[in-house]
Amino acid sequence: MAEILVFSEKDEIAFELLSKGRELKEELCLGLAAALLGQEVEGRSSQYFSYGAEKVYLGESALWVDFYVETYAQALQRVAEEGGAQILLLGSTKRGKELASRVAQKLGAGCITDVIGLRLEGDGLVADRYALGGNTVASEVIKTERKVIAVMPKTFEAFPLEDGEGQTVHLDLELPEPRVRVVERRPKEGEAVNVEEAEVLVCIGRGLGAEEDLEMIWELAQALGAEVGCTKTLASDFGWLSEERIVGLSGKKCNPRLYVGIGISGQIQHTVGILGSKIIVAINNDPQAPIFKIADYGIVGDLYEVVPRLAERLTPP
Amino acid sequence: MAEAEKVEVVIVGAGLAGLACAYHLAAAGLEVLVIERGDFPGSKNVTGGRLYLHPLRSFFPHLWEEAPLERHVTKERLTAMGKGSSVTVELSSERFKEKPYHSHTILRAKFDPWLAERAAQKGAIIVPKSRVDDLLWQEGRVIGIVASEAEIHADVVVAADGAFSFMVEKAGLGKRRKPQDYAVGAKEVIELTSGAIEERFGLSHGEGAAQLFFGSLTEGMFGGGFLYTNIDTISLGVVVGINALMEKEPGFELHRLLDSFKERPEVKPLIEGGHPVEYSAHIVPEGGLESMPQVYGHGILVVGDAAGLALNTGLIVRGMDFALASGALAAQTIMEAKKRNDFSPASLSRYEELLKESFVLKGLETFREVPRFLQNPRLFNLYPQALSESLERLMWIGEEPKEKISTTLWREARRAFRFSAVRDLLRVWRI
Amino acid sequence: MQIVVCLKQIPDLQQIRIKRDTREPVLEGLPFLLGDMDKNALEEAVRIVEQRGGKVTALALGSPKLRDTIKEALAMGADEALLLIDPAFADSDTMTTAKILAKAIEKREYDLILCGEGSTDNYSGQVPSRLAEILGLPQVTYVRQLEFTEGGLRATRDMEEALEIVEVSLPALVSVTSEISEPRLPSLIQILKAAKKPLQEWTSEDLALSAHEVGKEASSLEVISNLAPEQERKNITLEGEVDEVVEQLTDAFTREGVIAR
Ligand SMILES: Cc1cc2nc3c(=O)[nH]c(=O)nc-3n(C[C@H](O)[C@H](O)[C@H](O)COP(=O)(O)OP(=O)(O)OC[C@H]3O[C@@H](n4cnc5c(N)ncnc54)[C@H](O)[C@@H]3O)c2cc1C
Ligand SMILES: Cc1cc2nc3c(=O)[nH]c(=O)nc-3n(C[C@H](O)[C@H](O)[C@H](O)COP(=O)(O)OP(=O)(O)OC[C@H]3O[C@@H](n4cnc5c(N)ncnc54)[C@H](O)[C@@H]3O)c2cc1C
Ligand SMILES: Nc1ncnc2c1ncn2[C@@H]1O[C@H](COP(=O)(O)O)[C@@H](O)[C@H]1O
Repeated sequence: MAEILVFSEKDEIAFELLSKGRELKEELCLGLAAALLGQEVEGRSSQYFSYGAEKVYLGESALWVDFYVETYAQALQRVAEEGGAQILLLGSTKRGKELASRVAQKLGAGCITDVIGLRLEGDGLVADRYALGGNTVASEVIKTERKVIAVMPKTFEAFPLEDGEGQTVHLDLELPEPRVRVVERRPKEGEAVNVEEAEVLVCIGRGLGAEEDLEMIWELAQALGAEVGCTKTLASDFGWLSEERIVGLSGKKCNPRLYVGIGISGQIQHTVGILGSKIIVAINNDPQAPIFKIADYGIVGDLYEVVPRLAERLTPP
Repeated sequence: MAEAEKVEVVIVGAGLAGLACAYHLAAAGLEVLVIERGDFPGSKNVTGGRLYLHPLRSFFPHLWEEAPLERHVTKERLTAMGKGSSVTVELSSERFKEKPYHSHTILRAKFDPWLAERAAQKGAIIVPKSRVDDLLWQEGRVIGIVASEAEIHADVVVAADGAFSFMVEKAGLGKRRKPQDYAVGAKEVIELTSGAIEERFGLSHGEGAAQLFFGSLTEGMFGGGFLYTNIDTISLGVVVGINALMEKEPGFELHRLLDSFKERPEVKPLIEGGHPVEYSAHIVPEGGLESMPQVYGHGILVVGDAAGLALNTGLIVRGMDFALASGALAAQTIMEAKKRNDFSPASLSRYEELLKESFVLKGLETFREVPRFLQNPRLFNLYPQALSESLERLMWIGEEPKEKISTTLWREARRAFRFSAVRDLLRVWRI
Repeated sequence: MQIVVCLKQIPDLQQIRIKRDTREPVLEGLPFLLGDMDKNALEEAVRIVEQRGGKVTALALGSPKLRDTIKEALAMGADEALLLIDPAFADSDTMTTAKILAKAIEKREYDLILCGEGSTDNYSGQVPSRLAEILGLPQVTYVRQLEFTEGGLRATRDMEEALEIVEVSLPALVSVTSEISEPRLPSLIQILKAAKKPLQEWTSEDLALSAHEVGKEASSLEVISNLAPEQERKNITLEGEVDEVVEQLTDAFTREGVIAR
């Protein structure tokens, strides 16, 4: 039977995709399979069954320490062709995006990355993604027979079945040596922040003059019980905050009850990350700043005056 | 030491005048550099929005077919506004519906980039986001410009930098500027659907309306209001004389005038439900012939608004057609001068001759008296008020028996049109 | 070192207007710019060639407006431009874009191909990977630092959880992030000189591609709709002295029930 094939190098994402896959397979009358590629994967297959995989392709290889995309793409191509996969659901992580594009090219398939919504309309599978730099949401369908879809993490909820069982298929793969060698891996300072889940989010942008002044932002965040996020500039260019805190197109998408944007111009690549906020507050000294257009409450003023007062006012004596 | 480079012609300003000049020169194979301080051609340019095409066709024979024109104007309206009343005359003419059309509405944010692209296709180099800061001189001749810390040498510099031309001042070609030589305009572009526009103005598909307003909207100041219909937007604005504006209390903002104009019952329903998508303000030169600078010097020519080639009758602002034509004539002059390899004033004076022979200076000549005539405030308060009030009285049926029409009119006329009116009238005659 | 940099022209996204009634984006008349990260890639290429010698070719597929847009790349230091312009190319998706670019690259000599991590408008990241796949090249993505070694390249990849330092031999395809470089602002003189640099144009015919292999017809995707997300915001500006606005804002917080207190 033709099938939906799920893969992500991150199990959580694979489970989210399997959960969505269960819904799709009913309507499309397809099987649901997953691929587990890496080292010592055998033991993890039962979990995949519990999220609905009817079949798990197991590929063990020592070559897979470094996630060289080309070899993963080759393996997935084979699984897809042999198993007759019609839809490949992958995670849209950095590696996942690259993998999706490569597999799609190998399979001669159309591909959509960074998908934020997926639904059946008529007999077509419609995927939503941001387009025009985040100004719009494009709904697209893939016209080729095989379809590769890379879905943003946390787009679907992962929910396990009571009992899941399935068949394990061992892959016998002959893979070439990677052409790219990893010589070193320097873990980033793993900060355990989760701006995506914050109920109240204070975001700071380039309006902040110096790193020391972040103190004031932390004080406000504390008074509001908020998490601190930032624009790309502050993390990637200045390195004042960790990249985990970037909100926007290439960062996190957030749905807080309250978002307070401080010294942020409101360029679309940032604001697409906050469209789900219930209330948007903007503090900026330029009345023309585009962020005011999408704000519920706007304060035109110097953040150095407004922020300390606001923190003071909100802090219980 | 700044880097230096040489081209044949440098044009300062990518407005209509500069781009028209660049288009013709590049088409003739000359090496042309256009320097524009805005983010892109058209980004800083403001116009009311109506381009009279007829006089221009011969200057740009093939250009208009694919030009991003908005609507061709088939309906003209003129509204005299009193405080609580107004009179509108409407002219619709079958002649306006005949091709080739007489005038079109345009949006500069679309039109200028398009013209720039045409000029670039012909080979002109257009550099936005760069401001020309100075002229370079050698032995009394202009030999180039300084922009963004670079020196560019050229055979000829064309000053196309608009009203308030800095280049004209630097070249010492201008007369002392007086406030009455300028007016200032503020304009909004308001988004509506094309269906709503056609319905509200009673237009067929693709047709446009132009409406001009004078009277109480400018609060006694010299000027007026305009409304032009575009494909799916309306251009709405006010223009007032700087002199008159300067007499207002300090802190008076032009934008407030525009805001109350938008609230007028004559205007409000026309723009109801629309969203402003653009606001801009700009200077209009309107000294007419009297205050034109010298349009050529040694190694320099002046075109468009920079040369004062605009006309403001209070009701009609015209300048785009003059700008385009003067740019084309400057190009012709430069090509001829190039053949002689002579860029002296004697050689470049050909440009002034060409202007005189063309509709540009003939047009301005006809309206020579307009600027002074327009400094007369009666035109902008007394007469429109009187006109609309008289008609209002005529039409009003109250409890008292109605007096004879001639009596009403005579009384109104006597109130408004005293001796000075005769003088005003005589001046209109001379125009 | 022969470097090909792939650049895409993008309508200026800061200037897009959204129609209120239909939520459609108005793209007409927008000026075009080069992609942000594509410029980072170009800057890197120019720096490499400045240090090690060689040539930078700017390669772009797009509408005739490219002839103008590409001048920025030449002014920034690309030695030549190769433009792929043909009405038949219109509406090419990532798959066909990669196919066309690959055909052009195959006709050239190269050691290194540089791309942006994603295009500023579409940000799909597909084109570089597909290109590497077609050309059979090793690919290094998300590169924020690039050095040369004896046998090839050493690159620092910016992954979610770690910086990964990898080595690869040439020829290879590298896609870069914005951290790799700060694109230079070309001077007026450089812009002027750019006008004289070689600029070549190829159509589908030059690439031996037939009309139904490219453009909309060959596209693997169909866009059903493309609208701005619905946003109903209050747009209230709080005015007054700092103390007053702070007071108004905290009142609003309470009224909206957005903070627990
Ligand atoms: C493909 C791509 C992906 C991207 N992804 C992201 C992303 O995920 N997230 C992201 O954030 N960006 C992203 N960007 C970058 C984005 O385009 C902008 O560059 C960035 O969001 C701008 O950050 P900013 O608002 O902090 O800075 P700016 O745009 O410089 O704005 C600073 C603002 O602070 C105001 N200000 C200055 N001083 C004061 C003061 N004293 N008081 C109050 N206000 C003041 C100024 O008026 C200004 O409006 C991406 C870009 C690209 C090309
Ligand atoms: C409110 C209003 C309504 C009008 N309505 C109409 C109408 O309906 N019909 C009509 O025909 N005319 C109208 N006009 C007049 C018409 O718009 C102008 O006459 C015309 O735009 C003049 O074109 P130009 O090319 O000479 O100048 P501009 O269009 O002003 O162009 C000058 C250019 O030079 C650039 N520049 C200036 N200084 C420098 C520098 N130092 N370095 C580099 N670049 C520089 C500017 O940025 C600008 O792009 C109106 C004008 C206004 C203000
Ligand atoms: N039309 C194009 N012409 C040249 N290069 C392109 C084009 N489209 C995409 N690219 C390159 O591919 C990268 C990723 O684009 P995308 O796959 O659209 O996210 C860009 O940063 C460019 O380097």
